[in-house]
Amino acid sequence: MICIQQVSKTFDQGRSFAVQEVDLEVGAGEFVVLLGESGCGKTTLLKMINRLVEPSRGRILVEERDVCRVNPVVLRRGIGYVFQGVGLFPHMTVAENVAVVPRLLNWEPSACRDRVDELLRLTGLSPRTHRDRKPHELSGGQRQRVGLARALAARPRIMLMDEPFGALDPMTRDGLQREFKRLQQTLNLTVVMVTHDMTEALLLADRIAVMKRGILVGTGSPGQVLRSPSHPYIAALMETPRRQADQVESILRSGGEGK
Amino acid sequence: MTETALAEQLRLLPEYLGHHLSLTLVALFSGIAVCLPLAVLVTRVKPLQWPVLTVASVAQTIPGLALLALMVPLLGQIGFLPAFIALLLYSMLPILRNTVTGILGVAPDILEAAEGLGMTSGQRLFRVELPLAAPVIIAGIRTATVWVVGSATLSTPVGATSLGNYIFSGLQTQNSTAVLVGCAAAAVLAIALDQLIRLGELAVAGRSRTKGWLAGAGLLFILLSTLILQIPTAKGSAVVVVGAKPFTEQYVLAEALTQRLTQAGLQVENRSSMGSMILFDALTAGHVDCYVDYSGTIWANVMKRQDLPPRADLLEEMKDWLQREHQVLVLGALGFENNYGLAVARHKAEALKLASIQDLTRHAPQMTIGSDFEFFVRPEWTALREAYRLDFREKRTFDPSLMYAAAREGVVDVISAYTTDGRIIEYDLAVLTDPLQALPPYDAVLVLSPAAARRTELVSALEVFDGIIDDGTMRAANKRVDVDGESPAQAARFLLEAVGLSSPAQGRERSDS
Repeated sequence: MICIQQVSKTFDQGRSFAVQEVDLEVGAGEFVVLLGESGCGKTTLLKMINRLVEPSRGRILVEERDVCRVNPVVLRRGIGYVFQGVGLFPHMTVAENVAVVPRLLNWEPSACRDRVDELLRLTGLSPRTHRDRKPHELSGGQRQRVGLARALAARPRIMLMDEPFGALDPMTRDGLQREFKRLQQTLNLTVVMVTHDMTEALLLADRIAVMKRGILVGTGSPGQVLRSPSHPYIAALMETPRRQADQVESILRSGGEGK
Repeated sequence: MTETALAEQLRLLPEYLGHHLSLTLVALFSGIAVCLPLAVLVTRVKPLQWPVLTVASVAQTIPGLALLALMVPLLGQIGFLPAFIALLLYSMLPILRNTVTGILGVAPDILEAAEGLGMTSGQRLFRVELPLAAPVIIAGIRTATVWVVGSATLSTPVGATSLGNYIFSGLQTQNSTAVLVGCAAAAVLAIALDQLIRLGELAVAGRSRTKGWLAGAGLLFILLSTLILQIPTAKGSAVVVVGAKPFTEQYVLAEALTQRLTQAGLQVENRSSMGSMILFDALTAGHVDCYVDYSGTIWANVMKRQDLPPRADLLEEMKDWLQREHQVLVLGALGFENNYGLAVARHKAEALKLASIQDLTRHAPQMTIGSDFEFFVRPEWTALREAYRLDFREKRTFDPSLMYAAAREGVVDVISAYTTDGRIIEYDLAVLTDPLQALPPYDAVLVLSPAAARRTELVSALEVFDGIIDDGTMRAANKRVDVDGESPAQAARFLLEAVGLSSPAQGRERSDS
């Protein structure tokens, strides 16, 4: 579905590389998480998939087509895009925000309306109460749901997500993560998600790709990266969630008394 | 008395307001049409931002009156066009700057979303950036509106009729009613337009149909009234344009010419308060059909002559020259002279034993001289200064209407007075003689543009003015305005009556309305 071949990106004519010679393939319906510390190049890599950033070297195929050879506007309308800032348009209602891409694609108004209601229900919002609200009248979690609905509006088969749940409180985040995972499986979406949250990566991903200083250091299923990491950096990274899990388990065993 | 004075001013309102509105609206709409695309361009091409905003800022720092006056030589025209261009420049900065600020102020995550969702650059502009920048842009347009309505009053001196006609002529003739009417009308207009735009903005932001209809109706009303108010003056090219320089005598004479031409059944437009040189250029270009000038002014300033032949020879030579060089017809000398003369408060003249300008030479280094805006840059001043070796301690310029009081109250010692001004007697000033004849004679002459000179009905209506107004009559008419507080129109009726040119029918019609 997505094929990243020897892709590098430099913002300073080759003195340093934000992304360096990355190879990665994402199959149809696969949920891949790009994991790494901030500044490791994961967001740059993600943005090259829908050509918000152009690769300096190498090439990226989306559904067998080189992204640099297709019209970027057409490409982006076919790929859902969600990011931490959400970027809802403050002058539009929830319904108008969700219908942005269908409108750009010249859908019939009635089709747009039906799709908006369908998506609001799908993302756990009530069309009747939320449809005509403005973004500033929503909670953080609701806004992120609208952002998700907007990205899904034109039935993309690929979703790119950049720390979509980063700004939410833990309860809301947990709920949305699980709902999204279920949605991804029902709709058979191909997802590339960027995060620095190890637990999120482990819980959502089919496959985790770990990046460090622009280089892809290794990939593997959550089980693989936990049990037999292919690189010392991955092992170090997995130390934190493993230790936290152990601590939680020991609290449970001791009856919740001490630490 | 005040009621009739007010009524007299209000009768002029439709004409002034109509011109003011059309000038303002055309300048504003053009300003928006030019600035919005320019501002968008500037946000897309960053290197252009600094130069464009700087040029707009510089245009803004030029005082409004100077900017308007500058447009006249630049465009070689008077009237609507220079006023329009100057106001357009004036409206640019707030619209440009607010649009640029508004667009650049859109949050980066919103722009990222627009791009990530697959909007083209144009869709991003029209669906996201402009709607989000709209409140800031509209605030800029509202600022520009208030500025343009205010600055449009300054277009009177370049020959465009506006509410400024009230203010300029009112200040010169000390008619506070006229000044107040002009200021109030401009203020009401500014507030009305500003609130109308605000209503439109609220209608769009709140998606309110009622407010939208109201704003639309208001705009339509203003556009329609502009059109309707314009109709009387839009009637063909037969209209006679009468010009006047910015002082009382000129207003009175322009009114007298206007009343005479109206009596003769001609349509007249009065362009008052124009600068001296602007007016002459306008006459030769045919933008003004007739006005009263002074032989010495033309001799020194237009013909650039420094020699001084006797009064009658100068007049003859000037007539020939104007006809030959500019095809301007001198229809006749009105009969009186309005000379430049140096005047001193009588008690001071007696104390210092001042009778002629020569007596002044000795005292000049301790004295302050006051004058109008023009005199010190005119060749007459150079000639006078050199002939008598005058070296004053200080030179001060005044609005002509304030100059006489300044001499009376001792703010200045000497002023360059107009000898027909009624205030010379009223304020007890003494005019010093000019034994060396350094100042030319200033016979009032009626001059006609080349086109007007060919219109027989116009010439026959005006040739009766030849030689019928003497110094005393003119001074009396001026005094009625400057001292007694009459309007120039009233003084002009007095003048026509005094020289036997008034028609009783017209007098009745005026007092009825």
